[in-house]
Amino acid sequence: MPRSWLGVALVLLFSTACSGPTVEPRSAPAPGETRTFEGTWSASGSRQTLDLEPGHRASIFSLSGSLLLTGERGLGVGFQGNVIGFSDSKAGGTGQCVWTDDRGDKVFSQLRGESLGTGSHVTGTITGGTGRYAGLTGEYELHWQYVIETDDGTISGRAVGLKGRVTMPAAGARQ
Amino acid sequence: MSVPPPATVAPSVVAFHSGRRDLITRGATLALALGLWFAPIPEGLTAQAWHLFAIFASAIFSVIVTAFPLLTAALLAAAAAILTGTLVPAKAFAGFANGSVLLVVVAFLVASSVVKSGLGRRISFLVVSAFGRSTLGLAYSIFLTDAAIAPAFPSNTARSGVLFPIVLSLAQGTGSSPEDEKTRRLGGYLMFCGIASLAVSSALWLTATSVNPIGVEIARQFGLKISFGSWLVAACVPALAAVLLLPSVLYWLYPPGVSATPDAPAAARAALRKMGPLSRDEKVVAVAFVLMVTGWITAGTLKLDLTAVAFGGLGALLATSVLTLDDIAHEGGTLATYLWLAVLFAMSGQLNELGFMSYVGGRLSAALAGVSWPAAYVALLVLYVLMHYLFVSQSSQVLALFGVFVDVGMRAGVPTPLMAFALLFASSYFSAITPQGGSQNVIFVGSGYLTQGELYKLGALTTIFCLLVFLLIGTPWLFLVVH
Repeated sequence: MPRSWLGVALVLLFSTACSGPTVEPRSAPAPGETRTFEGTWSASGSRQTLDLEPGHRASIFSLSGSLLLTGERGLGVGFQGNVIGFSDSKAGGTGQCVWTDDRGDKVFSQLRGESLGTGSHVTGTITGGTGRYAGLTGEYELHWQYVIETDDGTISGRAVGLKGRVTMPAAGARQ
Repeated sequence: MSVPPPATVAPSVVAFHSGRRDLITRGATLALALGLWFAPIPEGLTAQAWHLFAIFASAIFSVIVTAFPLLTAALLAAAAAILTGTLVPAKAFAGFANGSVLLVVVAFLVASSVVKSGLGRRISFLVVSAFGRSTLGLAYSIFLTDAAIAPAFPSNTARSGVLFPIVLSLAQGTGSSPEDEKTRRLGGYLMFCGIASLAVSSALWLTATSVNPIGVEIARQFGLKISFGSWLVAACVPALAAVLLLPSVLYWLYPPGVSATPDAPAAARAALRKMGPLSRDEKVVAVAFVLMVTGWITAGTLKLDLTAVAFGGLGALLATSVLTLDDIAHEGGTLATYLWLAVLFAMSGQLNELGFMSYVGGRLSAALAGVSWPAAYVALLVLYVLMHYLFVSQSSQVLALFGVFVDVGMRAGVPTPLMAFALLFASSYFSAITPQGGSQNVIFVGSGYLTQGELYKLGALTTIFCLLVFLLIGTPWLFLVVH
């Protein structure tokens, strides 16, 4: 049954890709502890655009995808990142972002920066979280290496240079 | 290595072994689904993404091991995804309103008009009269025709709508029928030639599929500017080598049963004379096709929706009574195709949206850190092609993974043009790897000439062959012309 082996091999390959991190993750930040993190974020979603005066566009967008942390993994291996936002080609962009980990614990942040597009620079302010990230604060920045929009309104992009730091509250923090 | 014709054994023995085999493969599918579902969720993924992977991987596994047909596997997977709360119904059913999925379905129906009107038979006689001395000659006529018309079609799904009626008519013209085991293989061979041809002709021209410009746009962000001409220069040697070799390789892998037909051209010419002038229905279908093809070719310039053009063509064929509502009502196979394609399309899209695809791609490629660049180049290319088992759309994979893999390749020291072009070409030829690997395949799959097992086996072997051609011939060529 060679086809069965093909099926088994493929499932093993993709499952193995998801198994065990290549670098041991660190535990969740202790109260008052500050950690740094860096990584990439590949995301796809949709955008609706309203053309204003010539050269001026406004859009609402929704993106989700895998946020993979590399280097010093102050926050573990990665999250699923979701963002919903507003982008104005003249005024810049804002958004609300949620990162969800494998336990379902979340990190909330607000995004501000240039309008969504290739090369745009964005900063994020971490405003809190749930579960082991409750009370988390911090900031980060990222750079959209590319944002591609297809004819049907779907967008895809990759953010690189994602760098930031987080701090757990000194008291009342939960592990 | 070739796919053998089924052996003849007693029906009771077949039924016993088939029943036992079904039990084993279905049990294995269930075990896999439950095993993955309850396995620890990898760090960095959400439970939703992991559970959807468990459902999707089990569905694809069940099809590969022939536990279930595609339709059954897709319906069970959709039901499982929704009833377990893994996907909300709106997301799970989103594929039913997808333009590419609808284009496949409408192209199916339009193709039936070519057969019904007799135009397909006429075209097949014309092709046979020129190339019909051998089955291999017919296969080459498919590959060469497709390679020649490809640059004018921005959508390979639309191109499959043009190619399929011709291939179907050729198959039927040679007396091949999906129901007749003795003659089925000839039609099956020609059908897979259609699938393989679309895969490699899309790699030959920048404008042969909508996937290529997306990849070029992403490559631009890595400092690589690719024009129509530079693409053709980079692609021509490996892609043309694949075009020239694939008909013979497929012939060896899947012997069609009939090889030489020296009398066929004369018989076809006689049949053409007997058919007489074009009938009214043939003229209507010909005009409708010319208009649709014109619409598809100019879609980019005139901002026409490809599916809407096909809808217009089908509407015109119904309005002129070339096709009737009865004809549509008898297209049950089209409904089955629509159901499984829409479900798998949506599910694969959701896996991507939930970050699973980029997570796996990122983890796999990150594991290559520290290896020499030639090893990284080959490994990245192989992994990129294998990842297509999880995708039901070529453009989704390019959008999700192309940039990630180019980036990792660059960091590993692979020359950017080499890595980018190799991945761009792979984004076309890997479409043959599964029946659902590109929407252009689906119309050929739906013809019924090839079994599920044959499609997966031929898909894997064809993709391996293309990978080798593009690695062994394409890599030195790329070094010569773009490095």
